[in-house]
Amino acid sequence: MTDKHSMREMGEKLVNVKIDGKAITAPASLSAIQALWYAGYSRIKSVGCLEGVCGSCRVLVRRAGNSEVRTQLGCQTLIEEGMQVMFLVFPRPTHHTYKLEEISSSWEVQTKFHKIFPEASRCRECRGCNASCPKGIDVMKGVALAARGRFREAGELFVECVMCDLCLTACPELIAPNHVGLFSRRVTAYFHTRPSNLIRRLEGLQRGKFEVNIEGEKP
Amino acid sequence: MTGISYSEALAHYQAAKSRDLKKSDMATDELLQAFHPDYREDSLVSLCVGPNQGDSCHRQLAELLQSDARIDEADLAGASIVQTDVLVIGGGGAGCAAALMAEQAGARVIMATKLRLGDSNTVMAEGGIQASIERGDTPQMHLDDSLKAGHYRGDPKLVAKMVMDAPDVIRWLIQQGMQFDLDEFGDLMTRRAGGTSADRVVYYRDYTGLEMMRALRESVRNSKIDVWDYSPVVELMSNESGHCAGAVISNLKDCSYVLIEAQTVILATGGIGRMHLNGFPTSNHFGATGDGLVLAYRLGAKLRDLDSFQYHPTGLAHPQHLAGTLITEGVRSAGAQLLNGLGERFVDELKTRDHVSAAILKECAEGRGVRVDENAVGVWLDTPGVERTNPGILAKRLPKLVELGNKCGINPVEMPLLVYPTLHYQNGGVVIDEHGQSTVPGLYCVGEVSGGIHGRNRIMGNALLEIISFGRRAGLQAAEMSHGRGHKKVTIGHLSKLRRELAVAGMPMEVKGPMLFPECAKFEKDADYEGFRRKKQ
Ligand SMILES: Cc1cc2nc3c(=O)[nH]c(=O)nc-3n(C[C@H](O)[C@H](O)[C@H](O)COP(=O)(O)OP(=O)(O)OC[C@H]3O[C@@H](n4cnc5c(N)ncnc54)[C@H](O)[C@@H]3O)c2cc1C
Ligand code: SF4
Ligand code: SF4
Repeated sequence: MTDKHSMREMGEKLVNVKIDGKAITAPASLSAIQALWYAGYSRIKSVGCLEGVCGSCRVLVRRAGNSEVRTQLGCQTLIEEGMQVMFLVFPRPTHHTYKLEEISSSWEVQTKFHKIFPEASRCRECRGCNASCPKGIDVMKGVALAARGRFREAGELFVECVMCDLCLTACPELIAPNHVGLFSRRVTAYFHTRPSNLIRRLEGLQRGKFEVNIEGEKP
Repeated sequence: MTGISYSEALAHYQAAKSRDLKKSDMATDELLQAFHPDYREDSLVSLCVGPNQGDSCHRQLAELLQSDARIDEADLAGASIVQTDVLVIGGGGAGCAAALMAEQAGARVIMATKLRLGDSNTVMAEGGIQASIERGDTPQMHLDDSLKAGHYRGDPKLVAKMVMDAPDVIRWLIQQGMQFDLDEFGDLMTRRAGGTSADRVVYYRDYTGLEMMRALRESVRNSKIDVWDYSPVVELMSNESGHCAGAVISNLKDCSYVLIEAQTVILATGGIGRMHLNGFPTSNHFGATGDGLVLAYRLGAKLRDLDSFQYHPTGLAHPQHLAGTLITEGVRSAGAQLLNGLGERFVDELKTRDHVSAAILKECAEGRGVRVDENAVGVWLDTPGVERTNPGILAKRLPKLVELGNKCGINPVEMPLLVYPTLHYQNGGVVIDEHGQSTVPGLYCVGEVSGGIHGRNRIMGNALLEIISFGRRAGLQAAEMSHGRGHKKVTIGHLSKLRRELAVAGMPMEVKGPMLFPECAKFEKDADYEGFRRKKQ
């Protein structure tokens, strides 16, 4: 972890920021979360992997001399002079629910999709989701593709989605765009991933072809 | 403060023509003895209380295993009580797999997790998961490789179950909606892990854990499992005969304690990286503070290999705020070489992780590392070399690496990254049987918190395999064992024995465990958390 003294010795540039209303002076190389800790404040909620993949540390960010407010991940947001950061709480979970096993075959996926996510075809193309996504995903396009039944293509857009729910919060039509993306990815695997190398091995195992011997030689 | 300066090292790197492997002057055993952190003499102590009394244990871990509890009876007066069949503790991959299986088997399941569902080491995993599926490969070879890499200290019976489960684990994950990288004919692609004899690691880009966690989290969310987030467990509970029978959680939302009484408990709390053993940086998530080991040990569960940890060879060495961040072994499987400050190749990059890490530490200790400043020293990971032999591979198969490069202001296609070993994995843990059952009845332990599978060194991809293989096993078994009528009296009575033993052994009672949150987060200073303690007076 960041050690105060070594930072000072390195003579790193200090910047002034406001995080959750607290005025903080900290080295510019720190993330918003690290800056809070550096200044002696406690922070455990909204912290997770600290590597930008768990989607926990949702923040609002406003930069000096700019009225635009952006949504980002706190662990990935390096502090800058005059920056303001606010941690966001998590929204209520979406009301959409489904089980993959309840979709009887791949012929049914489109019909089921519109039953599970009826709002998806009502996207008003406001781009709120795209603007909120810290991973730069073309969320709106993903929703449109899924609504047209192009699930594999839609899912490909969400490869880097960390399920931070920022697009869910932003969507005025309550589409839960990230869950639409994840649905698209999951049905693709569930119905279409059928690797012959895996299936052959499973068959072999079933026929008892691969017993293991644990008395093997040991040097 | 020795080493070769960055600019000088860069010049050596660029000038070097041949990358022939320098002949090593040390055998693995000798190298580990001299340079692997597990063998530092001052880092080990012998445990004075508990089921592993007399065993060798890392000093920092021992301090927590022999710490005082955070609560006593008085704290629980008036606390609400909730009942369930199976209580799963921890919302990573192992916890999700166990909870899903238990629920499917008809049990009522509560899953209590420290922060949010999916904040875990699982979501961060990159390289992939092992399953012997290729033509020239067999479960037997998988078993042999795992035992050998673990220096024959793993439990062959457990490893045998795991390698035989592996192909079905992959099928199960696909059925949860997890994608894998496929070739043009739809077959699973495989890559090779260091120290193994076949291409056996299946993966999804270098986002294997993210893809796994997304699918599992969505499965859990759409099931009847009752997920309690922001609910770290501070103590386990047991019935009059010592059978584990639930847990005490501290609810971070309203600062109250809640007792969850359960017929069986599955502990899936993951690893210890944030203990920063021997002062090393770590690749682990924020909540990896070894809580499960402390909770289980207090209740009488036997642990093993408490002096054996994995330092992953390629943690990022610089810049400092990203130090310790993992660079997947997949980069070395793809052919990336390790080079010292003189531009020399000093180790076979695909040897086992303990060997490669020790070799890097040796180069740095002997002044051949690349020195950035007083905090950072490392060796080159030659990513441009991989790109030269296989143009486009970084962007296509290792996007997370490219993104990490962006964050450090380095384009790995053109410039090598500086790496140094990072604390990565707890090799040992709670002793279990083939169903994940610990030595305490009713207490199952799965995933990184358990021990016995990896011996003294783990190969890439066996952790993700273990969490699903044993997670599923424990989930099924725990559901089956939850048909009884429930426990009569459920208490934290084991703590009085603990305190007596600690007092007799003359242990300092100031240290409180489990740790719950890393020191840097200042949890103990948190005004809300203070409220917990004030309430009890
Ligand atoms: C960066 C990185 C890359 C990796 N890459 C690979 C790889 O490519 N292949 C591979 O096989 N392995 C890999 N590993 C290892 C592997 O990811 C982990 O060992 C494995 O995912 C552990 O799973 P788990 O479910 O046991 O623990 P985790 O996934 O860590 O989950 C533990 C959960 O328990 C919760 N918890 C902890 N304490 C408490 C408490 N007191 N009360 C309640 N909840 C608690 C945590 O918050 C967390 O949600 C990697 C690890 C890291 C860190
Ligand atoms: S798509 Fe939505 S949930 Fe996914 S990363 Fe972007 S904003 Fe977050
Ligand atoms: S925010 Fe919702 S309505 Fe707006 S573009 Fe995105 S999906 Fe469509």
